[in-house]
Amino acid sequence: MVEQQSPLEPVFRPGSHGNFADGVGVTLSEIAPCSIIQLAAWPGEEKKLMVVIGSVTGLKLADGAGAGASSDRYSAFGFAPGKFLVIDASEGLATTLAAKVAPAVGTVTDLSHGRIAIRIEGAKAEWVLGKLFAIDLALAAFPLGSGISTTHHDIFTLMQRSGPQRFDLYVFRSFARSFWKMLCHAADEVGYEVR
Amino acid sequence: MSSRRTAAGGRIDRLRTIRFTFDGRAYAGFQGDTLASALLANGVSLLARSFKYHRPRGVLTSGIDEPNALVTVLRGDIREPNIPATMVEIYDGLVAVSQNRFPSLAYDVSAINQLGGKFISAGFYYKTFMGPVVGPLKGTRFWMLCEKVIRRAAGLGRAGLAPDPARYERMNAFCDVLVVGSGPAGLAAAREAAASGARVILTELDPQFGGSANWSGETIDGEPSKAWASDIVGELRDHDNVRLLKRTTVWGYYDGNTLAAIERVGDHKDAPAKGAPRHRHWTIRAKNVVLATGAFERPLVFPGNDRPGVMMASAAQRYANLYGVLPGEKIAIFTNNDSAYRAAVALNKAGATIAAIVDVRPEISEDCRALARQCGAELLVGHAVVGTAGGKKLTGIKVAQFAIAAGALPSGGHNIETDCLLMSGGWSPTIHLASQAGARPLWNEALQAFLPPEAGQGWIGAGAFNGTFSTADAIAEGFAAGRAALDLPRVEPGTPHVEPAPLDPRPAPVFEIRAKGKAFVDFQHDVTADDVRLAHLEGFVSVEHLKRYTTLGMATDQGKGSNVPGLAIMAEAVGKPIPEVGTTRFRPPYAPVSVGALAAERFGDLKPERLTPMHDWHLENGATMYSAGLWFRPMIYGEAGETIEQAYVREARTTRETAGIVDVSTLGKIAVQGPDAAEFLDRVYSNVFSTLAVGKARYGLMLREDGLVFDDGTTWRLGEHDFLMTTTTANAGKVMQHLEYFLDVVWPELKVHLTSVTDQWAGAAIGGPKAREILASCVTGTRVDNEVLPFMGIVHGEISGAPVMICRLSFSGEMAFEVYSGAGHGTHVWEALVEAGKPCGMVPYGLEALGTMRIEKGHVTGAEIDGRTSARDLHLGWMLSKKKPFIGSAMMDREGIVAPGRLELVGLISLDNRPLAGGSHVVMEAYPENPHGSLGHITAACFSPALGKYIALALVSGGKARHGSRAHVSDPLRGRFGPVEIVSHHFFDPEGKRMHG
Repeated sequence: MVEQQSPLEPVFRPGSHGNFADGVGVTLSEIAPCSIIQLAAWPGEEKKLMVVIGSVTGLKLADGAGAGASSDRYSAFGFAPGKFLVIDASEGLATTLAAKVAPAVGTVTDLSHGRIAIRIEGAKAEWVLGKLFAIDLALAAFPLGSGISTTHHDIFTLMQRSGPQRFDLYVFRSFARSFWKMLCHAADEVGYEVR
Repeated sequence: MSSRRTAAGGRIDRLRTIRFTFDGRAYAGFQGDTLASALLANGVSLLARSFKYHRPRGVLTSGIDEPNALVTVLRGDIREPNIPATMVEIYDGLVAVSQNRFPSLAYDVSAINQLGGKFISAGFYYKTFMGPVVGPLKGTRFWMLCEKVIRRAAGLGRAGLAPDPARYERMNAFCDVLVVGSGPAGLAAAREAAASGARVILTELDPQFGGSANWSGETIDGEPSKAWASDIVGELRDHDNVRLLKRTTVWGYYDGNTLAAIERVGDHKDAPAKGAPRHRHWTIRAKNVVLATGAFERPLVFPGNDRPGVMMASAAQRYANLYGVLPGEKIAIFTNNDSAYRAAVALNKAGATIAAIVDVRPEISEDCRALARQCGAELLVGHAVVGTAGGKKLTGIKVAQFAIAAGALPSGGHNIETDCLLMSGGWSPTIHLASQAGARPLWNEALQAFLPPEAGQGWIGAGAFNGTFSTADAIAEGFAAGRAALDLPRVEPGTPHVEPAPLDPRPAPVFEIRAKGKAFVDFQHDVTADDVRLAHLEGFVSVEHLKRYTTLGMATDQGKGSNVPGLAIMAEAVGKPIPEVGTTRFRPPYAPVSVGALAAERFGDLKPERLTPMHDWHLENGATMYSAGLWFRPMIYGEAGETIEQAYVREARTTRETAGIVDVSTLGKIAVQGPDAAEFLDRVYSNVFSTLAVGKARYGLMLREDGLVFDDGTTWRLGEHDFLMTTTTANAGKVMQHLEYFLDVVWPELKVHLTSVTDQWAGAAIGGPKAREILASCVTGTRVDNEVLPFMGIVHGEISGAPVMICRLSFSGEMAFEVYSGAGHGTHVWEALVEAGKPCGMVPYGLEALGTMRIEKGHVTGAEIDGRTSARDLHLGWMLSKKKPFIGSAMMDREGIVAPGRLELVGLISLDNRPLAGGSHVVMEAYPENPHGSLGHITAACFSPALGKYIALALVSGGKARHGSRAHVSDPLRGRFGPVEIVSHHFFDPEGKRMHG
């Protein structure tokens, strides 16, 4: 299979950038998972869809808005009523899920090319993201594994907390370069490393 | 340093000398000084000229309420005008200049305006420049004549034109308790809230936390108040759950306990830290808010109260205790309340001589008498200041007996020599944020002040904000507010012991001393007491009208010091008590906010833009890009020496002769999925989609609810329950919104999901006589011949190892195919197609060539689907199904929409062989001197390589009936007039033979 080309290529500059007076505030990276799949359930069928997600990924999602979970290979979280994003480091997840999600339960949409995944990690991750999103990112308000849909300027973003100081952001591919520039700009103040 | 600097004291760092200039002259101050304190320390008393009369003005206050001493701060070519000198922290290399003066601050020719006092009083503009034009010197015409001169002579500082390179940022924050103000009440509230583990944000607009504790000179539980404050700030710093924001002004209080604040991150530095913004705008969403914003001391209104050297008493105390600066050497005090006595003692202690204390009250307390004795001042009880002497500097005051009951002055009086007059007219709680958040303020007769309204949303007040002027009580209120904000059980706070004991906070109800001369109410807008009375005489009753007529309280200081005296004077004129006259509602912003902070990073390089997967290829291959909404698309791939027209003509001609390829990734793409997807499409499109076979595509037309055309595009059926809808690039978002609305609100029973997949797919359209041959040479896994891939058919295959989906459809009118691949494979597939096309001479083409070919074919786009055209206007009536209802079907046959004479789509051919332009009118005869009688207008124009002529699409009344007739284009703006022939919009290959092969 042909490898996907990153839209960040010309602006992805590994190394250290910004103000290091107090050390590296955040690390920025592109995760580049092979599968980014949207699952959407018809009203009342959400639980069945969560069972499918569990059976395929092994991730058990709790009830409630934005609940999510991660493993080494998979991540999944709810981002809207009855809607989930499921991420797999490997290819083929769309086909697997399409075979398991009955039309009476919901739909499967492959977004593996349509979104890119950017990770921000570090002591200043909440501070930097606070510049972009009107979301309460405190651990108590946005616990580990949970996800949310939000927007910065015109850029729709799905976000999952994948660690106490780590967030994975799923952004429309066409906006990726703009978003990356904004993220780097926001991180300038605290010093950032691109990996 | 000058004699105005005390030998010791203050929070300045006397070991760190700071050098700066004001009006080009070099001065020195200390680290921690404001521009105002440093200039006062240098003996500078003239800092500004007033707004209208150009009267000399000095420093009146010591904070954000400063109305007089506004300066312009220069950083290279960047000029920021109208900054209170009291808020500018000096740094090495600071350059500040005075404003609103010519040729210099000391000698300002516009000071002659003072002689025209009566002429340019309140309402001058309305009376002089509004109304019917009668003769040459009245009304709007007169205004046009005078405007430039007036604007230059009156006003504030001049904004710069150089682009501001500073960084500005926005920040979002959430907390359990936001404490606004860090005086004793705010600190107590923050400490109590933080102790419970709640998330607390404490804001302070000054550079130091502590508020009045920094300069009051009190002791709290035996400890100097500033040390007490410093200890609490230290405690708060140790809490992970507390964010401390100094130099931060909370300027707006909005619904849902959302507050706006601006943090001045870098204004006090000569250069910002790397990556740090100059200003950071905070949007704070707080579960609860403690408002501990203190109070402003009010000026008294008397003749000459604006002369440099007249200052607020508390400001002088602050200059002495916070900055070690004496605003004068021989100081007089004029007051209607007790608080000024403490200021007198503080200044005396700092080294100033207190010449006199003039108190309007006939009786004062023994405490006050003792304080007057302590500072050696002559005490003039039952007296008032009736005038001041001096030019650009105060030299003396005139004092007369004052009968408070009658508010009258007997004639006579005597002069007192002084270089500084401190005044105190009582205190106005800083209730702006509470007023923004809710109801009207409430008048308190005892305090002669408006107190905060009853809380309308989640805030609690504490301290002077509530009218509680004793420090001990303020701390107790802060403590209680900190607990109440978190719904913690009430506990009795141990009231701290504060020395010295508080004085009586109640002022005498005296706001104005009526005597001869200009007595200013609103210093910044030069509104006098007589202006207020004039407004009353001219029939203004409402306080809102008073405000607008006189401009009282409408300057950048928002009337922080002037509102209450202005109301009091109005009330007296009207003969009503103050609460009956009412007050205006405070609106955001509480203090000026930089536009940069509001815009933050959303401009220039950081403005969001959308790029297709092949964007870099286009740039590397010579494309000239232009924006289409947020997208960037190739306009032409110009060769050396080519004009735009030559380039697009070459690209379009080559495409029609051999082949061309264009990036169509920007087309809106929506996945329409679910068991009811076909039914849904039947409802939203004017034509039928439920009959479309899997593996086929169909052109569809959408109408709006009003029956006019909304959008068009092809929709591909990829599975029984799976459609891929394409929309025009420009309308993708609108269509998505439109569909989601109907699905969510009108037809929630339909099982359909919509997902934007625009970015999932890269699209390359390859068209021309050689297109199929080129495609066949590089596609594997499927045939692309007519049998397997008929018109509007869809096949799946691979190109250079990447999966692709190919649909045979055409916008150019040629045999054409749209090749969709995963966006991450977009450039890979594009390059493979370009490589395959090289033997045939295929060219990439841009939007200009695309537009040319669509005009030749008469295909419509957003230029024709302009929100006013119907399907029939565009000759798409055949797409209006009669077998089913759809959005817009109920309205599409309205009388107006089917009326004869509507604008219809036609083609135009230029008969003078000159270019045509979009927007030109189509007329029967062109009269350049008197353009009239439009038949319609041109929507799109080009040079057609296929016809060898300049052609256009147009919307023309009568439409088809005019085919074959002649008309003219009339474009007076661009000076283009000329003959055209009206023809069918199908200029080229009307039968579609080329497209169908």
